[in-house]
Amino acid sequence: MKKKSPDLNRQQEMDTSNPAVLVNGDLLRSYVGRRVRTVIQVVRPDAGGLTSRSTDEQQIVVKGQMPSPLTTFVEVIGVAESAQSIRADIVTNFGDTFDANNFNQLCQHANGDFRHLFI
Amino acid sequence: MMFSESQFDGGSQIGNSPAAAANRDTFGLVPLTIKQISEASHSGDDKSNFNVSGADVVNVTVVGMVFNIVERNTDVTFTLDDGTGKLDCKRWLNEPFDRLQMEEIREGIYVHVDGHLKSFKGEKHVAVFSVRPVTNFDEITFHFIACIHNHMRTSKVQKIQGSDGENINSTPNTPIQNGTNGFMSTLSSQNSVPFNVDGVKGFDQMVLAYLQLPANYGNEKGTHTDELAQKLKLPLNKIMESIRTLEDEGMIYSTIDEFHYKATSSN
Repeated sequence: MKKKSPDLNRQQEMDTSNPAVLVNGDLLRSYVGRRVRTVIQVVRPDAGGLTSRSTDEQQIVVKGQMPSPLTTFVEVIGVAESAQSIRADIVTNFGDTFDANNFNQLCQHANGDFRHLFI
Repeated sequence: MMFSESQFDGGSQIGNSPAAAANRDTFGLVPLTIKQISEASHSGDDKSNFNVSGADVVNVTVVGMVFNIVERNTDVTFTLDDGTGKLDCKRWLNEPFDRLQMEEIREGIYVHVDGHLKSFKGEKHVAVFSVRPVTNFDEITFHFIACIHNHMRTSKVQKIQGSDGENINSTPNTPIQNGTNGFMSTLSSQNSVPFNVDGVKGFDQMVLAYLQLPANYGNEKGTHTDELAQKLKLPLNKIMESIRTLEDEGMIYSTIDEFHYKATSSN
């Protein structure tokens, strides 16, 4: 019998009723207290989670349980605790190659003229 | 074969409506965010069609995370969450291939779903043709950019239709003939832009309409650009701009010299 992974447990408890806003480092500050999602580059794992760099080159601290092993890029879905930190519900490995610049521009569009398609 | 029958006979599961089948071919797979889908309304004439910000939508492409997988003998249902909302999906298990493809789908992974947008007792869901795990995560970025692109394209076509109408009303001396309108509606119904969409705008339309007047269309020599400038009360450089645009689009051609032009059709 395979043990249920802790990832799955967290997903089931997670409240997905709120949409998660696409953000980069700069946009994170506008959504403190709200559900956000972003793709970050792992700088170093630490005790409570990891330190990372956003697609617009800002430092973001992610708290919560991390998958192991971690790839270079991970997607974090969770609640923005402050302008520089996210409490993660779901962390997904996005691999070692990811176009950070494309994602960064998408975040700007999704919070700009095309906001109504996303939130 | 890679394709199962259910990928092609979506119409029969949907109620054998020939209209639905025909429409399904018309618009292709439309990339949408789940928020856009949740805000879609039924389009007036056909119950099987949906309308997303003014454009008809039958089949959709969505990318999101899989939750709440429920397997039955005949189908698998799951919820897709793309961060903008949640959407119920249903995959019928008709062929061995359907079952094989669903075996790859697990809780919490990102998938790419193609399917037919349906409504049952007021609840929208997607009858899935194809579902596959996302392995290159740039695809997620790409999908959302495709959603934005699709939105821009459909709203641009609508805007042209709108301004087209204004031009007709605001240029009383210019008889606009059916041809131009027919051309515009073809453009929007195909939902694609075969050439420069800004092509037939105000001045271009005035020039074209003047050349299409029966007296001018019937004139073998064509109409002189000076006459166009004079009659339409427009500067010659604007006339020449329009001439070039219309010529590029094959709607007019030069006749005896580069100053005389004639419309290719009378409407």
